[in-house]
Amino acid sequence: MPKSQNINPKVVRKPKFIEFGKIPVNQYNKTIEEEKKILSSEDFLRIYHDMVVIREFETMLNLIKTTNEYNGISYNHPGPAHLSIGQEAAAVGMAYTLEVDDYIFGSHRSHGEILAKGLSAIHRLDEDTLYSVMKDYFGGSALKVVEKGFQGSIKDLAVNFLLYGALAEIFARENGFNKGLGGSMHAFFTPFGIYPNNAIVGGSGDISVGAALYKKINRKPGIVVCNIGDASMGCGPVWEGICFATMDQYKTLWDGDYKGGLPLIFNFMNNLYGMGGQTMGETMGYDILARIGAGVNPEMMHAERIDGYNPLAVIDAFSRKKQILKEKKGPVLLDTLTYRISGHSPSDASSYRSKEEIEAWQQEDSILSYGKTLILAGIAKQDQLDVLRRDTKELLTQILKLSIDAEISPRINMHQDPDCIGKMMFSNGSVDKMEEGTPEVLLPLEENPRVKSLKNKERFYKDKEGKPVSKAKLYQFRDGIFEAVIDRFYKDPTFAAWGEENRDWGGAFAVYRGLTEALPYHRLFNSPISEGAIVGTAIGYGMCGGRVIAEIMYCDFLGRSGDEVFNQLPKWQAMSGNIIKMPVVIRVSVGSKYGAQHSQDWSSLTAHIPGLKVVFPATPYDAKGLMNTALQGTDPVIFFESQRIYDIGEMFHTGGVPEGYYEIPFGEPDIKRTGDDITILSIGATLYPAIKVADILQEKYGLSAEVIDARSLVPFNYEPVIQSVKKTGRIVLTSDASSRGSFLKEMAQTITELAFDYLDAPPVVVGSRNWIIPAYEMEEYFFPQPDWILDAIHERILPLKCHQNKNDFSTDKSISLNKEGV
Amino acid sequence: MATAVIMPKQGQSVETCIVTKWFKKKGESVSVGDILFSYETDKATFDLESPADGILLDVFFGDGAEVPVLVNVAVIGKSGEATDSFNPEQTNLTARKASSVSNPHKVTFTAEIQDLKNVPSSPDSKIRISPRARRLAGDKGLNYNNLQGSGPNGRIITSDIEKILSGAAIITKSVHTTGVEYTEQPLSNVRKLIAKAMHASLQNSAQLTHHMSADVRHLLEVRQKIKSELSSDTTKQDITLNDMVCWCVIRALEKFPEANSHFLDDRIKIFHKVHLGIAVDTPRGLMVPSIKNASDMDLVKLSKELKSVAEACRKGSISPELIQSTAATFTVSNLGSHGVEMFTPVINLPQAGILGVCTIINRPANMGNDIFGFVPYIGLSLTYDHRAIDGGPATMFLKEIKEQIEAFRY
Repeated sequence: MPKSQNINPKVVRKPKFIEFGKIPVNQYNKTIEEEKKILSSEDFLRIYHDMVVIREFETMLNLIKTTNEYNGISYNHPGPAHLSIGQEAAAVGMAYTLEVDDYIFGSHRSHGEILAKGLSAIHRLDEDTLYSVMKDYFGGSALKVVEKGFQGSIKDLAVNFLLYGALAEIFARENGFNKGLGGSMHAFFTPFGIYPNNAIVGGSGDISVGAALYKKINRKPGIVVCNIGDASMGCGPVWEGICFATMDQYKTLWDGDYKGGLPLIFNFMNNLYGMGGQTMGETMGYDILARIGAGVNPEMMHAERIDGYNPLAVIDAFSRKKQILKEKKGPVLLDTLTYRISGHSPSDASSYRSKEEIEAWQQEDSILSYGKTLILAGIAKQDQLDVLRRDTKELLTQILKLSIDAEISPRINMHQDPDCIGKMMFSNGSVDKMEEGTPEVLLPLEENPRVKSLKNKERFYKDKEGKPVSKAKLYQFRDGIFEAVIDRFYKDPTFAAWGEENRDWGGAFAVYRGLTEALPYHRLFNSPISEGAIVGTAIGYGMCGGRVIAEIMYCDFLGRSGDEVFNQLPKWQAMSGNIIKMPVVIRVSVGSKYGAQHSQDWSSLTAHIPGLKVVFPATPYDAKGLMNTALQGTDPVIFFESQRIYDIGEMFHTGGVPEGYYEIPFGEPDIKRTGDDITILSIGATLYPAIKVADILQEKYGLSAEVIDARSLVPFNYEPVIQSVKKTGRIVLTSDASSRGSFLKEMAQTITELAFDYLDAPPVVVGSRNWIIPAYEMEEYFFPQPDWILDAIHERILPLKCHQNKNDFSTDKSISLNKEGV
Repeated sequence: MATAVIMPKQGQSVETCIVTKWFKKKGESVSVGDILFSYETDKATFDLESPADGILLDVFFGDGAEVPVLVNVAVIGKSGEATDSFNPEQTNLTARKASSVSNPHKVTFTAEIQDLKNVPSSPDSKIRISPRARRLAGDKGLNYNNLQGSGPNGRIITSDIEKILSGAAIITKSVHTTGVEYTEQPLSNVRKLIAKAMHASLQNSAQLTHHMSADVRHLLEVRQKIKSELSSDTTKQDITLNDMVCWCVIRALEKFPEANSHFLDDRIKIFHKVHLGIAVDTPRGLMVPSIKNASDMDLVKLSKELKSVAEACRKGSISPELIQSTAATFTVSNLGSHGVEMFTPVINLPQAGILGVCTIINRPANMGNDIFGFVPYIGLSLTYDHRAIDGGPATMFLKEIKEQIEAFRY
């Protein structure tokens, strides 16, 4: 909502018609003679070669999956193999024009694209660079295998390396491109510009947009190609990615040479089926996929359907579209028509399509027809092509032998190191900036109006005389986050922030107030209401090497970014075999006062997913320190904030919140008050009711409570809690999350295991009710209140003298609530 | 030859003692008189001094172990001497296995399993006790099987165990009113002893009680005088009304020796000196320590003794010999401070009588010339064993006490 752009009712209320231009469909019509002027014979043959390699690679996998044998070699591969036999021309045509610096992202059906881009990169790289890439990758483990006894050029060696690395990855071998931890649907090799494929349909739809943002924001050379299937057009993240990629602001508001569209091609590999659903005629309504472009922006996304059965047509299209991107008029939408001869997977009985249809496409097979074209044009002879096919088969037989040999290609040794995957879940880096360089800012930090105003704030909640500081003079929780974030903007040139209302408004909760003045558009911008893409783009940005903080405003919107938060963000570090880092912080604000869809604490959901670090500070001191740690790290962090306490001052850290930089290590709970008789462990804003309970226990019952603020959920050091329980023998846990399945239950169970002999009562969880959250006026019946905690202590842990229960924490009640499912 | 360290028998009724803390470790050298360990009976705590010089060769029971009296706890001797023959386990004496720390490896795995099987499953499995409380009870060698817990659903919690260990009477009133109309409490050891003694007293004697009152105007005046005298004196003893009444009782007993006696079925043992028993309320229950040779003491000394034995009882450090019922020749029980107007105290057999001292009540009395005024009277309730004393002499004895009070002199 920039003030620089006024929306004039006189203009927007005027009657008119939207005019759509024409979207080309299969308009390629160059003759082979015209192509000969562009491509050499070698080029023509290389295109043929690359298609044959892909075909043979996948034919081999198909035979292994269906017959457990290829060329006399037996092997059983129980894992997935989603083949793209028939789509080779589309893959090779796509990769043919791409530079090494151009990145491709893929789908579950991307073996062909990986090999095509790999072969293209091998062709473009000089031999020295190629060799050092192979030598440096995982200490040259894959190179050693293919280099043994090899005689030939470095480029040929690199082809062997590519095929071996990909196949070993598919077969889950340690020499695979990702140590066998990615597998068929996630294999990738970043030195060749091959970025992750994605087993979730449309998963790359927003991640690739983040990669394009990385290139744009950090002035990196190259474009990004998002290879996804036609059926993924029905996926939310793809649509969100398209919206994110086509925002007006790139062309209207971004400054200087940052002005202009994203260097991105959404390349829909349109094989006409989404598994068994026919997209054209059954499950979608676009008739021709390229039509979608017309609805997105005035440029109609430069959309075009191209003939993906003719590699020359695809090459022609990519050459033209790359030019558009060069002119900063992207992104582009391509509808690359192709056909999958093979089934969705080897178990596919093709019950959804006719034999005649498959045969008709087989007759038009791209390799056969392209071969004929080459012979007819006098570029190659049949024998030559036959030899090429035979040699390829021989090569793949060799590669297969190497890949399945347990001696040569073992899996990672889980027996020797059962924790080795665990060690790859986080990169645990501590990095000031992801890249050298001077961060682009609009004014010196000291001149920032908010920084100036914070100089006059009281950084502890009481003044020197012990009087509470007024809200206007108080350094608040939101200020703690602000200080950490702005500090990073002045340290790390790659650091960027986006989300809804982040710019101008300063975030819905005024955390970012003051950032707009400090930062150019490309470092801080407003996103569409696309929580999926907000996180998805951050993932793409992070995996390419940038640091980013994205915000999804309300915790309740985590559902909207479910796939990104649960399937993408946490997985890629380990699935890459630790090649990729993921310095991505997602700010998630837990609401209050706004009812059932704006007040939920879902921290437990994120803590359940392996691969995410989850923190939930409750004081300004902890907020700043933990945010500094999050932004210094290289791991994905879900940073929870409670709207209940954005304006709270620092009440625990005597001396207040330091002005300088400091970090609070993740995973360390903090004892906010010491005591001997009972431990209260809180997550998030329930720290304050917990402190109140401690006061009441002391005043009314003469019991001293130890209050521990968890601060982090993942990782978490249980030792201080166990230490406390050993002392007190009793523990009650509380948070604002609905109690069923909440992370408190996990903690309670772990504490029971670790300190069983020291417990005088079971750890008791006091969470929110398992209901919808009612209106603010009724919240006291939903969120844990001090008297709930007292009642729970009285009923389950230690009867309190003369205590009158207001709430029923009896075992009978617990049984009946569980029976009712509430 | 090595010397055995034996768990002493502290008093007639003591069957086992608990080792509370070892001060010496196995292998340490010790000398005669060194404190080896402390231990406790149900009523008091003691230190055990080393009976010999040498090396503490072996320790058969660790901290918290409950040890039968007269059983070997440890052995002292010269380095290298064999100790097996001293080990109570080896000599087939019953001992709690858990308490053996001398060689924990001796407890084989199969033996543990066997023990678990032997535990009677039905009552034990119903005991609700928190892990922490169980651990504490185990450490202290405390049997919790009959304990009623004060935690949720009657769970025995740490504070229940701590209460017992501190010797407090267990008053575990359940705060939970979940439809149960009563709670059952197991008896503490002290309670059991009191119950047995009181019941035996009423069953085995012919006791009855006479009530009388004494004018205490003079006594109160004298008390003021003594107090003012003493406050200028170096001996700062606060003489209580009870001290003065006891003084009077001793003087009366000197005149009526048949009341200063033990009735022993076929004979009466009449004592030449008064060993005065005094009933004391303690957190663990009623105790009646005795003041030996009370008749030889002046008022200040008597007062001091009365205080010191009461204190020792409350602390649990009273010598068990002093709380035997045979230690005293006559007992005074004072409930006057609580406002009791008259009661029938129960005799501590084999003593022949007990005096209950009641509260002071202002009663109308003839002040002379048929002018009536209010006079403070202290109530005196004498219970005597009719087998030993007849009603006449008993009345005279009670009257003597009354007169001693009314004409108090010291």
